[in-house]
Amino acid sequence: MVFSSPYFLFLYLPIVLLVYYLTPLKARNAVLLVFNLIFYAWGEPVYILIMFASIAIDYTHGMLVERCKRRGNDRAARRAVASSVIFNLALLFFFKYWAFVAGSLAAIGLPFMPRLGLSLPIGISFYTFQTMSYTIDVYRGDAGVQKNLINFGTFVTLFPQLIAGPIIKYKDLGDQIDHRPHSPEQFASGVQVFVVGLAKKVLLANNLGLLWDAYKALPAAELTTAGAWLGVAAFTFQLYFDFSGYSDMAVGLGRMLGFEFMRNFNYPYISRSITEFWRRWHISLGTWFREYLYIPLGGNRVSTPRLFFNLLVVWAATGIWHGASWNFLLWGLYFAALLILEKAFLLKLLDKLPALLRHLYTLFLVAVSWAIFAVEDFSQLGAYLKAMFGLAGGGLTDAAAWYYFRSFLPVLLISAVASTPLAARLWRRLPERSMRLLLPVLLLAGLVFSTAYLVDATYNPFLYFRF
Amino acid sequence: MTKRYCIFITALFCAFLGLFLAANTLSPDRDFSQLENRALQQLPAPSVKTLVSGAFMSDFETYVNDQFVLRDGWIALKSATELALGKQENNGVYFGKQDTLITHFQAPDAGKVTNNLSYVNKFVENVDIPVYFSLIPTQACIWADRLPEGAPNASQTDLLTQAQAATQANWYDTYPSLWAHRDEDIFYRTDHHWTSLGAYYGYTALADAMGLEPVPLSEYAKTTVSTAFYGTVFSSSGVRWVRPDVIDTYVPDDGISVTSYTYDKNGNPVEEPRQLYDKSFLAVKDKYAMFLGGQQSLGVIRTGREGPKLLLIRDSYTDSLAPFLTAHYSEIHLIDLRYYKLSVADYIKQNGIDAAVVLYSVPNFVTDSNLVWLGR
Repeated sequence: MVFSSPYFLFLYLPIVLLVYYLTPLKARNAVLLVFNLIFYAWGEPVYILIMFASIAIDYTHGMLVERCKRRGNDRAARRAVASSVIFNLALLFFFKYWAFVAGSLAAIGLPFMPRLGLSLPIGISFYTFQTMSYTIDVYRGDAGVQKNLINFGTFVTLFPQLIAGPIIKYKDLGDQIDHRPHSPEQFASGVQVFVVGLAKKVLLANNLGLLWDAYKALPAAELTTAGAWLGVAAFTFQLYFDFSGYSDMAVGLGRMLGFEFMRNFNYPYISRSITEFWRRWHISLGTWFREYLYIPLGGNRVSTPRLFFNLLVVWAATGIWHGASWNFLLWGLYFAALLILEKAFLLKLLDKLPALLRHLYTLFLVAVSWAIFAVEDFSQLGAYLKAMFGLAGGGLTDAAAWYYFRSFLPVLLISAVASTPLAARLWRRLPERSMRLLLPVLLLAGLVFSTAYLVDATYNPFLYFRF
Repeated sequence: MTKRYCIFITALFCAFLGLFLAANTLSPDRDFSQLENRALQQLPAPSVKTLVSGAFMSDFETYVNDQFVLRDGWIALKSATELALGKQENNGVYFGKQDTLITHFQAPDAGKVTNNLSYVNKFVENVDIPVYFSLIPTQACIWADRLPEGAPNASQTDLLTQAQAATQANWYDTYPSLWAHRDEDIFYRTDHHWTSLGAYYGYTALADAMGLEPVPLSEYAKTTVSTAFYGTVFSSSGVRWVRPDVIDTYVPDDGISVTSYTYDKNGNPVEEPRQLYDKSFLAVKDKYAMFLGGQQSLGVIRTGREGPKLLLIRDSYTDSLAPFLTAHYSEIHLIDLRYYKLSVADYIKQNGIDAAVVLYSVPNFVTDSNLVWLGR
């Protein structure tokens, strides 16, 4: 199920909220678990079995780690953690990377892995990472063990963040699973974040997706430099509003149910360096890799060559996490290279530049990265990058680029402003009275226009389904 | 924000969701959307099979979308918002000048075009009567100056050139006569078809190729049968702010009978009487179906005149062309390959057909998947 759909908004969600709040506190997790499972089974009726296996195995491993620790058997506890990590990574490898590895090996003449033709279970990259962090945190003593299977199941399957994050670590959510207050203040703030997220996804991301699709599909001979940049600009905004809109909706839904999730995006496009960009983009993934991969490798308290090696490993992993395809690995390594350069000397140099140049530097490199991210086929990617840098098959510009530019200029401008904290700042400056009058109007407008676009939607893809 | 205000915001949100939940549940389901001219998804019944495959879920999602209360109003709100945001197209339709809605014409699949042209050639080889072949350029070509400036638009004239070069049939060109009259109302502004006037200019091109003397337009009296026609492009565009089209007829239907041949559920042949102009369609949304009563597998027009018999292998553009041809033939047979799956060559022999015309609009021809039946 996706949040941005009429059946979620006008059927599933009101029923969940009604039943949830009619249920006594003690039974709410059980009710939530049932609804979570319906939510997942709706999109993956067969793969729900993986979900059950995942719950059972990680629950058992958590208990095992805790018992070994209590008995002072650190070796056995470590073995249990390793077993849990291996299980989760194996699950991820089997469903997400098998076809990619098999295809790549076959391409170099080693066709020994059979093609399985399995589809990717929705959200597997997110929930395997969450459950993996659980046993590690129990071992590290950062989180208590969850003895209640229903509560643990509720954590693993929690529908607001099940299929597209934010990636919530058990240590951040465990206490809330066991006990959480519900208040109108939290619900109302959840409504605001949710509607903002819905509008970002439906009104901006889907809209700009049409522009990107027009350029993505264009044969190299017809691509122009202006068009290639217009396409990349559209994708830059589409990806941000799609993903951050979905995260906002998750945070909002969480609050409606009494949960507080971490913020996943913090205006990434106002960054003044790539280092800063990655502190603001997909924060829950960045911190996950930081805590469970970068720091265990030694983090930055190591020799310079080792530091660069660590960065390379972390960013290769980040890249390939985004999709089982070579372009994602290339995309990760592209950022590894930039981050290493910034750490080596570039950051110091950037500090001396005017802010405008630093913004341009960051946006330019990020836009190029999205081209690598979005175009999977290497020959197409080559043609697209060439076009961006002036070697376009169709020349510098054409009438179509002008047409698309005119048609999408208002949406692009709205998107540019919405990528900055400007609106939020102005909003906070409003007198309380105006805020109170304006808020219901804006909420209703967001809901009404989003509904209109959704009912009409022949076009409502969701980018993060690949992950 | 006070607690009371937060309760208000919470209630507002829940009321919005609840309102539409209740309205969608209580409002009766519609079978058919006049506006969109298609059957709407009905509530699917779950079964183990459809639940496991996910077919139930996807049907259910379509059901909720299709049966959403005030669906037509939401669609109109979306297209109006797009216009306000500076867009010049919606759902694949350009907002053209002079209240004209024009469907995108995208570069066709080259392989499919080659195949379809070869099926026509195969047909020419299979029969021993003259075969005439043409493609009708549409609004996106003849009225390209009405498109928004720079709007992407693939060339239809290139396809005409390609078809002319590749075909073994007697090629005739409808482009010059349509182009010469581009300032007249030769196409509908809200529908993908040509008007009766456009069809007349198409007819003159065909008559010239066949060596017939076309009846001068001045010999006919124009009859306006509808001034409130909103066609297919209107439906798919979501646009609700353009003026309606006018439907005219020229050729009187006195003494002309039409029979549609089809099969019932048990496979028995059925004859269904039709009319050259079925006025009952003027009361519904799909008014173009007034011409020959809309889609049919096989139809025969009997003119009551002496003369040869003509076969048209065609799409719905010929529904408004056929009346002009009645002046020259005793019988006009119309075959729609989307529904007619028997050998056309056999049909020609069995019915003593004297000449055949293959006529499609360019967009239909380059996307059609049924021309393969022509070669059998």
